[in-house]
Amino acid sequence: MEGIAKQKVPGGKLLIIKVRYNENIEDIKILGDFFIYPESAVIDIEAAIMGMASRSSEESLIGSIEAAVERAGAEMIGITPLAIAQTLRAAMMK
Amino acid sequence: MRWRIIELETHDAYFNMAADQAIAESVAAGADPTIRFYKWHPSAVSIGCFQSMNDEVDTAKCREEGIDFVRRRTGGGAVFHDENGEVTYSVIALEQDMPKGVIDSYRLICGWIIDSLSTIGITASFAPINDIVVSGKKISGNAQTRRDGVLLQHGTVLYDTNLTRMFSLLKVDNAKLSDKAIRSVEERVTKALDYSKISQDDLYRALLSGFTKGKDSYTGKMTEAEMKRAESLADKVYKSDDWNFSR
Repeated sequence: MEGIAKQKVPGGKLLIIKVRYNENIEDIKILGDFFIYPESAVIDIEAAIMGMASRSSEESLIGSIEAAVERAGAEMIGITPLAIAQTLRAAMMK
Repeated sequence: MRWRIIELETHDAYFNMAADQAIAESVAAGADPTIRFYKWHPSAVSIGCFQSMNDEVDTAKCREEGIDFVRRRTGGGAVFHDENGEVTYSVIALEQDMPKGVIDSYRLICGWIIDSLSTIGITASFAPINDIVVSGKKISGNAQTRRDGVLLQHGTVLYDTNLTRMFSLLKVDNAKLSDKAIRSVEERVTKALDYSKISQDDLYRALLSGFTKGKDSYTGKMTEAEMKRAESLADKVYKSDDWNFSR
C-alpha cells in the first residue's frame, strides 16, 4: 500500500510524508520546505524508520527518529520528530 | 575579517547554484568570506533540497516557456527567479565567524536586507524562520546550509516579479497556508516596486551598500579555480536529472 499525508507544522514548515508499507514500512520519503543540518541526516532518519512495523506507536516512531537525529548530530528547523511521526501515521491511516 | 564582494552577475540556474557551492568549498579551504549578487538568465525555478521537483514545479510548462529548474543544496521552498524581477545574493563565510544559532544567523543576514530596504523607503521586518515581510507580505525568502565549517545563505529580494506567472509555474500547496487563514497565495507575496518607485539597479545598489556597510571589504571576482569547479558542478550535478529529480 502507499500513502501520503501533509502537515503545516504550527510555527514551522510544510511536511509531506510519502510511504509504501505493508506489515512493515518499506519505503518513506520525508519532503517539504523545512531545514535539517546536516542535510544528509534526512536519509538517516528515513533509514531508521524503514523496516519498522506499520502499526508502530507514535512514541516508538519518535524514539527511532530522535535516535537517528542524535546519531547524525542533526538539527531540525521547522519540523520535529513528533510532526514526522504524526504525519507518517496519518499517511498510513488513509 | 575581510570580505570579498562579487558584484551583480547574470548566469543560468545551474551555474548560479554551482558557483555558490564552489565558493563555499573555496572558503572552507581558506579563501576570504564572500558576498555575491546575481540574477538568472533564463528565468528559473529553484526548489529546496528536501522538495520533490514533480510535486512543486510544473516542469512541462517550464520547458515550454524556456524556464530552467534546479534543486538547491539548501532547504526551504520553491522560488521563481524572474530574470528582471528580483536580486539574489549569497553570503558565504566560516561558521565560526557567524552567529552559532541558525535563527540568529538568519536574523543577522536578513538584518542587512532590512537595512538596505530602509534606505529606499521600504519598512521591512524579519519573520522567522527565514522570511522578510513588508506589511505582512513576503518580499524576501532566504535559505541556509552549513557544511564543512562554512555557512552558505542565499536568498532573493523581489523587485517586480510577475506573481501571476510565478504561481502558474509553482504548484503551491494549500496545506502550507492552512495556519495562516489566507485564501490566495498571491496575497502573501509582495515586491519592492509596490512600495518604492525605484529601478532594479537602485535596489541592487541599496543591497550592495547594506551588505557591505561597516565591513572591511573589497570588490573581487571568482578565481579561475572556482570558475572551473563551478562549471564542472553545473554540468555534472546541477544540470542532471539524478540531482534535480532525486526526491
